[in-house]
Amino acid sequence: MSNAYATTDQLVSAESNIYDRGLDTAIALSVVGFMLGFVTLVNLVPPGASGSTLTTAFGTLLAVVVGAVGITSLASYANVVPVTSQRVRGVGLGLVVSTLALTAFATALPVTMATLLGIMLLAEALAITAAGVSSRLELVDAEPNMSAGLLSGGALGVIGLVMGAAVGGALTGFGSRLWLGGAAVAGVGLFLLTILPREDLGSTLPTAIVVGALGLTIVTGTIGVGWQWNPQTLSGGFTGGAVIPVFLLSGMLLSAWSAAKCRAGFGARGREYGAFLVINLNAFLMVAVMATIVVFVTVKGAGYAVHGLTVGALTALVLLTPALLVAVKFARTPAGTNDWNSGARQLFRVLPLAAVGALAAMFASVLVTGSPLRYVYDYTVQVNRQGKTLDTAVAVTPDTTIGTLLLTALAMVLAVAFFRSFGSLRKVGVQSERARLIRRAVPTVVLVFVMLSTLFLVLGPAPFGLPLGGTLGFAAVVGGAVAASGLVVYPLAGVLTSDEPTLADSAQREAPLFTLGVFGGLGLLLATLLLQPVAGINPQVGPVNLVPVIALGAAVASLALVALTTVAKRSSEETITRRVLAEERRLGLVGAAGFTALLGLHVAVTSTSFTVLGVSVANKGSISWPMVMEAYIPLGAEPGGIMPAIIGTVWLVIGATLFAVPLGVGAAVFLTEYAEQGRFTAVVETATNALWSTPSIVFGLFGAAFLIPRLGGDESLLTGMLVLGFMLLPLVLITSRESIKAVPDEYRDASAALGVTQWETIKSVVLPAAMPGVITGVILGVGRIAGETAPLILVLGSTLNAKAGVNVIDGFQFVSEPPFIVNDALMTASASLPTQVWAVIAAGVSGSPQMGWATAFILLMVVLTFYAVGIMARTYFRRKLNYE
Amino acid sequence: MSNSINTEASTDTQTNSGQTIETDSLSTETTAGESDERIREAWRQYDFDGNAKLSVEDLNVWYGDDHALKDVSMEIPKKSVTALIGPSGCGKSTYLRCLNRMNDRIKAARIDGSVELEGTEIYDPNANLVELRKRIGMVFQSPNPFPKSIRENISYGPRKHGDINKGLLARLFGRDDTAKEGELVEHSLKQAALWDEVSDRLDDNALGLSGGQQQRLCIARCLAVDPEVILMDEPASALDPIATSKIEDLVEELSKEYTVVIVTHNMQQAARISDQTAVFLTGGELVEYDDTDKIFESPESQRVEDYITGKFG
Ligand SMILES: Nc1ncnc2c1ncn2[C@@H]1O[C@H](COP(=O)(O)OP(=O)(O)OP(=O)(O)O)[C@@H](O)[C@H]1O
Ligand SMILES: [Mg+2]
Repeated sequence: MSNAYATTDQLVSAESNIYDRGLDTAIALSVVGFMLGFVTLVNLVPPGASGSTLTTAFGTLLAVVVGAVGITSLASYANVVPVTSQRVRGVGLGLVVSTLALTAFATALPVTMATLLGIMLLAEALAITAAGVSSRLELVDAEPNMSAGLLSGGALGVIGLVMGAAVGGALTGFGSRLWLGGAAVAGVGLFLLTILPREDLGSTLPTAIVVGALGLTIVTGTIGVGWQWNPQTLSGGFTGGAVIPVFLLSGMLLSAWSAAKCRAGFGARGREYGAFLVINLNAFLMVAVMATIVVFVTVKGAGYAVHGLTVGALTALVLLTPALLVAVKFARTPAGTNDWNSGARQLFRVLPLAAVGALAAMFASVLVTGSPLRYVYDYTVQVNRQGKTLDTAVAVTPDTTIGTLLLTALAMVLAVAFFRSFGSLRKVGVQSERARLIRRAVPTVVLVFVMLSTLFLVLGPAPFGLPLGGTLGFAAVVGGAVAASGLVVYPLAGVLTSDEPTLADSAQREAPLFTLGVFGGLGLLLATLLLQPVAGINPQVGPVNLVPVIALGAAVASLALVALTTVAKRSSEETITRRVLAEERRLGLVGAAGFTALLGLHVAVTSTSFTVLGVSVANKGSISWPMVMEAYIPLGAEPGGIMPAIIGTVWLVIGATLFAVPLGVGAAVFLTEYAEQGRFTAVVETATNALWSTPSIVFGLFGAAFLIPRLGGDESLLTGMLVLGFMLLPLVLITSRESIKAVPDEYRDASAALGVTQWETIKSVVLPAAMPGVITGVILGVGRIAGETAPLILVLGSTLNAKAGVNVIDGFQFVSEPPFIVNDALMTASASLPTQVWAVIAAGVSGSPQMGWATAFILLMVVLTFYAVGIMARTYFRRKLNYE
Repeated sequence: MSNSINTEASTDTQTNSGQTIETDSLSTETTAGESDERIREAWRQYDFDGNAKLSVEDLNVWYGDDHALKDVSMEIPKKSVTALIGPSGCGKSTYLRCLNRMNDRIKAARIDGSVELEGTEIYDPNANLVELRKRIGMVFQSPNPFPKSIRENISYGPRKHGDINKGLLARLFGRDDTAKEGELVEHSLKQAALWDEVSDRLDDNALGLSGGQQQRLCIARCLAVDPEVILMDEPASALDPIATSKIEDLVEELSKEYTVVIVTHNMQQAARISDQTAVFLTGGELVEYDDTDKIFESPESQRVEDYITGKFG
């Protein structure tokens, strides 16, 4: 790979053949035309635009095209993304030239967008005709076939039929049947014109006629911007604004195909290039349509959704850290074996780093100077039918309180170390007497707990003047906290008081126990934290909250052991000891990470804050996002938020997934691995497919008529979860079944030949291998149910007035009679994003439409988040199955 | 041709070339004339000292209507190497799979007859398949490692049988066998002549190994369960000569402790490593079963002789 080809002047004069250059420009022009067709279709620039609107639009287009082509050729010049294809270069140049010409045209002449589009079509028709004729006259090298083929003939014939009918109808009126004649003549004529002459004429002349006719109708104003056609048989009608873009899209598709065929010299290569362009433009259209939907919702909703978003600078920095880490990693990744120009590579790799770094510096400056940074923009909302300008802003404010986020992020970084070290942790296999002692003690402790609870149950609901849940919770909290600290401190004491000759030896001896301590402690503390709100108490001694104190103490103990083992490592020679010590050191870090995470969790769950050395750890204040964090305020008096709906949707998805995935995967395993393949499985398969295509409202009716009377008699979150779960079930079942079937039988044979039972084989070989497929199914299904509206209207109960989100975790309560665990939160009605959108926009229930759009935007984001999580999980499992 | 005139005179002291010419002409006659050579019961009778590990009687296998194995009876002696040879498609793999009931897993297969492992009928309806397959291990014709790490592939069997306990729970309960697992992995891989190549990447995915390495991994995986009988279906077909000779050494070594039944297409290999050889010919019939030396030096059946000398197959 040399630099020889990648110079700018060669990009211009790589081939001197005017025919090829001209066709490249024609192709480029049709690409531009196709895009313009799309732009006018979505009304980004209306077909009637003229004057300054038009020049602005073309100026933008020119900037985009020149910028894109410029960056690409720069990258090519720098050998970062070498562009070697002459055609691509030609088309690139053509893009610039044709956009330039169009812009000049639009600026110089008083034309409307529509006229310009028509002229583009005419130009295309001319270019194609010229190319076809010069090929026929053997002026250029080409290898045309005998004929353009029946397929092209058929396609153009159909187009001819439609156009003939339209023209005939327009001339004679659709009342008489004369238009049929026009259709027939045009259809048959184009068909014959395509298949009879040699390929170079057959695939250019008919296209040119069609494209030219389309262009003429637009240029002459036959179908202009104001044009309208309202057939009596239809209730609606067609307008020029909608028809012209469609003309352009189809005309440009046709001419791109023709021009591509000419450019590649007809024959097999011509077909190849033509098909390539058509397929690509089609794909572009699809992607563009999908992107339009997302962009549309974003444009409509994003502004309102982020109003009043305020982030503490430190929090923002923390949020930015992962991005910075990724950028650094990206920048440091070696580029492989290509001899890419290292300077350019550096440039392109460092760019993202620089961008993230600049943001970080900005936030840091906010912190240092103490003055807030605001990005204010106006946003009009309807309040009592009057447009009111809203003080919408994204603000970064300095703050002295570090959010929970800070802690959690720190813990997350350390947790990476945890997962790394867990693998090697398992290698430590040293036995310990004390570990056995503790192991024996565990059943006793459990027994005592059970007996105590029974005692409470027998003695009555409130032995110490506390409700049962509270009592148990209190016991668990105190017991857990004490045990956790004991488990961590005990081995430390063991190390210090040991009579082993060296510190290293004693540390090694304590290793298993320490593992037990850290993990046991982590588990107990977690349970403690989760139980705390349930118990409704904060275990406090004086002004000191016990849990964070214990957590801090344990973290300090971990770090102490880390320090000890590090010192010990230095004085130890044995490699095995070194290994063990390295693991324990990492373990210590892990312990610290765990405790930090718990601390963060504690602050988050209990809504408390505490201060260490003047640094306040609080869960409020460092980030405020009204739309996401506040409740809905009806009547649109103040722009509130949709927090209850977000929480409702998240819980719905979690509940439905928890319900459907085990059931679906289980059924798939049964059907694929155990059931005789035959009529029964075929019936089940058909039924599942049918269930998957069942309209969602039917599920909703089922929920309303069957589930609700049996589950408390009222609309509830639980019913919503179940109904969505039922909807998710068939897809999970189908995809799991397919992916389990796709697991090669060799794995099963190999496992069976080792004397492993079928169930073990399924568990450890088949299901892991099928995991990516199962996850794909769950991703698709979640995407569907998260936005499901109809059934939720029937079973969830729309509560626009909800002041708070459902509190499912806190809702769990222990009672002294069956079913022993109840959850009121699950049994109450809840808000959800789709029903909220429906209520606000469609049903016209109070509130401004902007609120609805913003809600839709957030719904989109929530679904995309679920989607991203699923994709990551799938990638993880795929990697695990192939090469790690 | 001019050469043949010379040799004609001295038939007693035939040169090598003369011999070849003679057998050539002979064989064309016999294969043409005796293609329906009757198999005599005596050819398949093999007397040996000591106990039989596996005794097969009147084994028939059908795949649908296809009669793939016909009336096979055979006693396989303990702690020895038995080679199964025969042309492709004659039912060697089918026969091998019958010995640990892997054919049960093929829906179309119907099996009739009796196979006894040390006097216990394995086709008994109450037979414990898990135990049976633990005792009779198998290496398949094409390598089939699990999509897991090399280490996990080897320890898979013992772990599932509860011989190795790992993970957090086992660790908490003080029964962590990680060290034992490490030894087992190393031992099995060394036995299968793979250790040197993979010792530093035991935690890599097994699918990243070459075909030959994968096959040796499968052998190691089978050995890790410590079976009594090892069934091998062309274990060396994907291996280079060095690895093949390692496998052959391994088989010889194994035969001191284990009973090995091995399918091979390589005559030299069969002659080198096996104590007795069974020859199957097209149609799923066991034609001759005897001492390996006997089979390769003076087989009773003309067809077997043709097959071994490479005239037929
Ligand atoms: N699963 C099956 N279903 C149907 N027929 C089978 C099946 N497996 C094997 N057969 C048939 O049984 C016959 C014997 O096959 P087998 O695999 O035992 O041959 P083989 O001697 O091992 O051949 P090779 O040396 O090529 O491995 C063949 O005709 C084959 O087509
Ligand atoms: Mg075979």
